[in-house]
Amino acid sequence: MARSLRLRDFTGASALALGAALGASLGALMPAAPAMAQTLNFAVGAPVTSIDPHYHNLSPNNALAGHIFESLADFDPRHRLGPGLAESWRVVDENTWEFKLRRGVKFHNGQDFTAEDVAFTIARVPTVPNSPSSFAIYTRAAREVQVVDPYTVRIRTNGPYPLMPVDIASIYMLDSQTHRDPKTEDFNSGRLAVGTGPYRFVSYRPGDRVELARNDAHWGERQPWERVNYRMITNDSARTAALLAGDVDVIDQVPTSDIARLRSDQRTALAEITSLRIIYLHLDRSRPAGQPTPMITDNNGQPIPNPLHDGRVRRALSMAIDRKAIVERVMEGAAIPSGQFLPPGTYSYAPGLQPPAYDPDGAKRLLAEAGLPNGFRISLHGPNDRYMNDARIIQAIGQMWTRIGVRTEVQPLPWTTFTARAGRQEFAAFLVGWGSGTGEASSPLRSLVATFDRNTGFGAANRGRFSNPEMDGLLRQALGTVDDERREQILIRATEVAMRDVGIIPIHNQINYWAHRRAVQVTARADELSQAMSVRPAR
Amino acid sequence: MTPPPAEGTIVAKPAATPAPDSEVQAETAPAAVRVETPLRRFIVDFCDSPLALFGLAVFAVIAFIAIFAPWISPQNPYDLAQLDIMDGRLEPGSQSMDGKTFYLGTDDQGRDMMSGIFYGLRISLLVGAGSALIALLVGTTLGLTAAFFGGRVDSVIMRIVDLQLSFPTILVALMILAILGKGIANVVLALVIVQWAYYARTVRGSALVERRREYIEAAQCLALPNRRILFRHLLPNCLPPLIVVGTMQVAHSISLEATLSFLGVGVPITEPSLGLLIANGFEYMLSGKYWISFYPGIALLVTIVSINLVGDHLRDVLNPRLQK
Repeated sequence: MARSLRLRDFTGASALALGAALGASLGALMPAAPAMAQTLNFAVGAPVTSIDPHYHNLSPNNALAGHIFESLADFDPRHRLGPGLAESWRVVDENTWEFKLRRGVKFHNGQDFTAEDVAFTIARVPTVPNSPSSFAIYTRAAREVQVVDPYTVRIRTNGPYPLMPVDIASIYMLDSQTHRDPKTEDFNSGRLAVGTGPYRFVSYRPGDRVELARNDAHWGERQPWERVNYRMITNDSARTAALLAGDVDVIDQVPTSDIARLRSDQRTALAEITSLRIIYLHLDRSRPAGQPTPMITDNNGQPIPNPLHDGRVRRALSMAIDRKAIVERVMEGAAIPSGQFLPPGTYSYAPGLQPPAYDPDGAKRLLAEAGLPNGFRISLHGPNDRYMNDARIIQAIGQMWTRIGVRTEVQPLPWTTFTARAGRQEFAAFLVGWGSGTGEASSPLRSLVATFDRNTGFGAANRGRFSNPEMDGLLRQALGTVDDERREQILIRATEVAMRDVGIIPIHNQINYWAHRRAVQVTARADELSQAMSVRPAR
Repeated sequence: MTPPPAEGTIVAKPAATPAPDSEVQAETAPAAVRVETPLRRFIVDFCDSPLALFGLAVFAVIAFIAIFAPWISPQNPYDLAQLDIMDGRLEPGSQSMDGKTFYLGTDDQGRDMMSGIFYGLRISLLVGAGSALIALLVGTTLGLTAAFFGGRVDSVIMRIVDLQLSFPTILVALMILAILGKGIANVVLALVIVQWAYYARTVRGSALVERRREYIEAAQCLALPNRRILFRHLLPNCLPPLIVVGTMQVAHSISLEATLSFLGVGVPITEPSLGLLIANGFEYMLSGKYWISFYPGIALLVTIVSINLVGDHLRDVLNPRLQK
């Protein structure tokens, strides 16, 4: 009895002492804590290649540029278009768009943002030297930019062009005074990294980090972070480990194998949203029907006429893929099976197109109907370092095709080698992804399945050279329709035609994940952009 | 010699059988004493070390598994039609959809890890032994030539060797595979190119010592052809260090192949070797699915350690200075 009493006394005393010590240390920490909380450490998985916002059209670059620079229109996290540096826009006549600019916007160096700057920026975009992936596709439709007054600008096009606000949203605005001689190196050194954005540029160490500081003169809502360390940690495990160790507050491109763990961990949480990125297969039809294509032979290794010209064979290959199994087993739930370009809930999503049902027996029957009862041999290519689990997905598809008699050799390649060879039509079937930047089906229809035409830029990424005149006609009609509701209906019809003819084989839409410490909250973005503006301290 | 007959019972039979036995012993035992061939002494010396014997036994088991993999594996891990993605990442001991047991679990593609390891050992040993053997032939020939002819031939060959040894092996192998592309034959070629120099240098060292000996001079006085002197007289006397280096290099090339495959430049992805199996499971380590990397890792470790145990003891046995 006495003993237990003494024990209780002891614990009581120690608890008191502990409490006192804690209180003291907390008190000592108090002044430091707010300053700590105002720095955000954000780790991204893909390196930023330049600070110049018009140099390289690449998601990681665009995400970073969005801190420093702004454009006339802005996409919200669910990729709906809203006002940006322009407060409103309207169609004046069928060849003219008018943008009303926000007043009182200043660049980081104090210069005013005016209509002159818009004209200057649109003129600069196509002139950036050595751009690996140009932004000029977004300014091509702008035939002439007319400055009406300092806060009104009109853009003239050749014929009706409904996508102008969407296109212009991808162009970050520069200042005609500050950026008189804009060299990409001067952006990277920081001298010209001057925009209107919510954060100012502090420093850039390529491959390591970009440091940003809050722009207190920004016109919009005040940002909670005084400083942002935007770090690039390309190794998946290292990024996860940095988050768990508390070195960083947020990471993007969460490895699927770590999702379950980060969700259950007491210290971390996940933010997720269905991405606008579709993972799909191109099938080669670049050579005339009746001729062989590389990477396809009969079962004895002899060349055969390209069977992919036959719609039944293409449909069989699509039906043979168990999309649910890929989503569950390979992606560990980080995707949704897909039967078209866009995820449900987006503008121009075709509700009638469900993911093709898994039907290996039906696929075999279709192959037999097409005169290939014993299947054939094919090589399936894809990148191994670009998309979530890319090499694993093509291995799984290899299994499924082999099971219907299409003996598949799986060949993952590094992205740089892969794209060069895919662009030269060296492959028969290959996996790629497409993020619909405009948030509507016109983007993938125009780039992936429209008949290839070097002059108009149609089918620019149509590496399989699919071609369907009916689809082309519908697409052209849609691109000339300014009325949003009518355009949506035409786009849905065009999508249905492309999918029924198996222009591509859609696999799944990725789900974008950000993992974060519980001390912060993250709003997931459908367009994959990793930005400090999406992060707030948790309440 | 003959054991005393056991009490009672069968006396005649045991008494009759020992006789031929003792005859055999009488014939062989003195012969062993009389002609102690180097080989016999070597075997006796080698059996001294239980550790080395153990290494040899383990290696024999591994070699057996590797050779007979297609017959003893529950599954052909290289046949895509036999894999089912729905069986992916199962724990050791789980049942597959059609009732088979995966004793060591499955990888992310639903590949039985045990079959994968058996086939992986096959590739490892094939690549290890194959490349070591070819490198040995090339290196020995060049090393002997350098030592025997000396002068300019020696300088040229040995400068190439120096050049070769001044680059990190893994870097050279990566470069070669980047140019040639994936595939087992290319891996073997890359390993031969990075390894022949070790043999050349070893052989030249001992051959330089040997060629000043009288028996070489005698052979030269007899006007024997160079080829005969090189391969019949010089080479046999340079063998001991070569055997040691050869054994160690087999282990080295196995681990090099694993490294290259781990980095994704070795074998094709649908025909994984041990290194690629480890790489496939590497990402799952943090999420607790240890078996995808762990068991191939253990298999690789055991293989290399067993070869090294044998190699270490070989060095002791073949080094006359260490003989008591």
